Amino acid sequence: MKRTVFMSMTTLGLLFFSCGLFAQSAEQIRKKAADVVDLSSMTMDFTINIRDGKGSERVRQLTMITGRFNDVTKTLIRFTAPSDVKGTALLIFDYEEKEDDMWIYMPALKKVRRIISSEKGKSFMGSEFTNADMSKPNHADFHYELKGSETYEGRECWIVQAEGKDQAIKKANGYSRSVNYIDKETYLCYKTEYYDSSDNLHRVMIASDFKKITATSYFAYHTSMENVKNGRISEMVVNNLETGKKYREDLFSPNALQ
Amino acid sequence: MKRIAFLCLLITFTIGAAAQDGFDATFNLNGYGRASIFGGGSAYAVSSLFSELSLQPSVKTNNALLESDIRIRTGMFFNEKKTELQIRELYVGYKSRNFDVFLGNQIVSWGRTEGFSPTNNITPDDFFFLSSDPNDQKLSNFMLKVNYRPVIGIGLEVIAIPFYKMSSYRFDLFDMSGFDMSGLEQFGQFDTSNMIDFGNDMVPEKILANGSYAVRADFDFSAFGGSVSWFRGYDPYHGFNVVSVNWATGQPVVRISSMPYLKNSFGADLAAPLGNVVILRAEAAYNHTKNPNNNMYIPNPDISYVVGLETNLWGFMIIGQYIGKYTFNYSPLIQPVLPSGGSAAELLQYAEDMIDYENRMFNRKVFNQQEKTNHAAFLTVTRSFAYDVLSAECTAFYNFTSNEWFIRPKLSWRISDALMVAAGGNYMRGGEKTLYGYSSAILNGAYAELKIIF
Repeated sequence: MKRTVFMSMTTLGLLFFSCGLFAQSAEQIRKKAADVVDLSSMTMDFTINIRDGKGSERVRQLTMITGRFNDVTKTLIRFTAPSDVKGTALLIFDYEEKEDDMWIYMPALKKVRRIISSEKGKSFMGSEFTNADMSKPNHADFHYELKGSETYEGRECWIVQAEGKDQAIKKANGYSRSVNYIDKETYLCYKTEYYDSSDNLHRVMIASDFKKITATSYFAYHTSMENVKNGRISEMVVNNLETGKKYREDLFSPNALQ
Repeated sequence: MKRIAFLCLLITFTIGAAAQDGFDATFNLNGYGRASIFGGGSAYAVSSLFSELSLQPSVKTNNALLESDIRIRTGMFFNEKKTELQIRELYVGYKSRNFDVFLGNQIVSWGRTEGFSPTNNITPDDFFFLSSDPNDQKLSNFMLKVNYRPVIGIGLEVIAIPFYKMSSYRFDLFDMSGFDMSGLEQFGQFDTSNMIDFGNDMVPEKILANGSYAVRADFDFSAFGGSVSWFRGYDPYHGFNVVSVNWATGQPVVRISSMPYLKNSFGADLAAPLGNVVILRAEAAYNHTKNPNNNMYIPNPDISYVVGLETNLWGFMIIGQYIGKYTFNYSPLIQPVLPSGGSAAELLQYAEDMIDYENRMFNRKVFNQQEKTNHAAFLTVTRSFAYDVLSAECTAFYNFTSNEWFIRPKLSWRISDALMVAAGGNYMRGGEKTLYGYSSAILNGAYAELKIIF
């Protein structure tokens, strides 16, 4: 549970997985997606299924709402299952140019606690996703390289490598480089490979079930992350997604968490 | 007991009816079942052994809600067999954009520091309920709680508790034969081995004037969060009073009762991130009391303060805190001197003076007012492993003033989403006639717990 505290924009990041990390056009595509779909104001119910190599499964269910107020993206996540974390709420203020502010409310403690926002490379809720995976990547932190083209699942894809600019960035994100398979037609990223600090393949993310949110943008309703080292697989499934709704800012107040 | 059970059934049926009669209500039932054992201390081979079912029905409509945590427990507690129903929480409320009101049995925790919160005067504790989770020791109060949020980031909380509920110290379980009546035995006159008798708790009369009232203004901004608060009422962390000294048998039998005292507490707390790796937490409260010299169960006015840092380092969450207290109008207690060759009347006076001295000293230990300034440190380290399946934590405390300390390791294994095992221990130590010295015989030991969550 405590690991969740370091995450910022939960599956909003999924959309940005789809944008990948392009050398030339990534910024344009991301801006286009952000302009067309107002994902800074959304409600989403989603489930994370975590399966280990022995076949046992754990399930996490969450509800998230986001809003954007004065250049600050505010995210409120409430845990709905399993029951021992039910009622736990996490509030994140995501700033463009400084560290996030985070608060957590845990029903057992009966109080709201301010928490720190480091260690993005750690597991998110015991899954194969990391807190960094849940965040919108900071494009300025990476060097990009076009490694070629390949057909993936019948789609013509660019293969774009993104490598952290320094060791601190690599450590913070939990990987040294990623290799992204990006559809040349839609700019959706269907597959990403993550390499560890020793440059060994560590995790593979597959995004699927893209659904049209607006005329020009999509959202991955199913994302899986496989840890090739230990065989664990985590799946993130979007159960419900609503965009375009404007929320009151007072919903995102720490003293309203309880 | 039967009335409580009937009340629970009535509430459950009412909830069911509400859910079915088209109130657009959402009904949820969660809870857990667990079996727990704690033992290994010198006083009790098995201090606590119980199984428990917690039912947590809740109802929510648009703005109205009902929350509850009802626990049914059966087992052995300090060699006493008990089956009990605990209404841990049961309250109804109304929640809106800026305004909430809740009425019923609730648990409230104030303060931004860990474990020792000087501003946390609302909720009493049962320190002798032994389980894997220290939060289980919290006892609810029946209260009216109102929250008002005039602007974003600022909240005002008002609490009214009509009837006092005290914390449970269970000092009746202690071996108090160490009362220092040295000198008298040599005359063959007094046997101090069984001289302490714990009488009934002395609770204030159930009138509204004896209720507790509290207000807190809380604010959370990006740079820092904090609060200022005021509490007026009988402190749940009560003292003890000598009710009587019975000389009928020729041996003194001192009857001691739990006795709450009235106080006004003015507090403030703060939490501020220092960069993205450390959070500073601080809290202080000035506690004002009247007539402490006339009544041993009333502490002197004091200021309690806690300053701590929290960080994450190599996957470990570390919280370190300094805990201090400054006692106003402090003067050391002077131990009576045995009159040499004194008359019977002088010896009797000496015995009574010693009884007063020992009990005042005992209360000072309870109030942590053993010196003018009192110092302690608290450290807790937590780490989870294997994708949060395993969790380890260790908490340690050292009181520099009284040289008492404890250490509490704990391991949790989440076998599945529904099944959890926890094991750990508690080891505390203090010198002769210290609180930890008394408690260690009962509270030292190890525990194991198996829990099913639904």
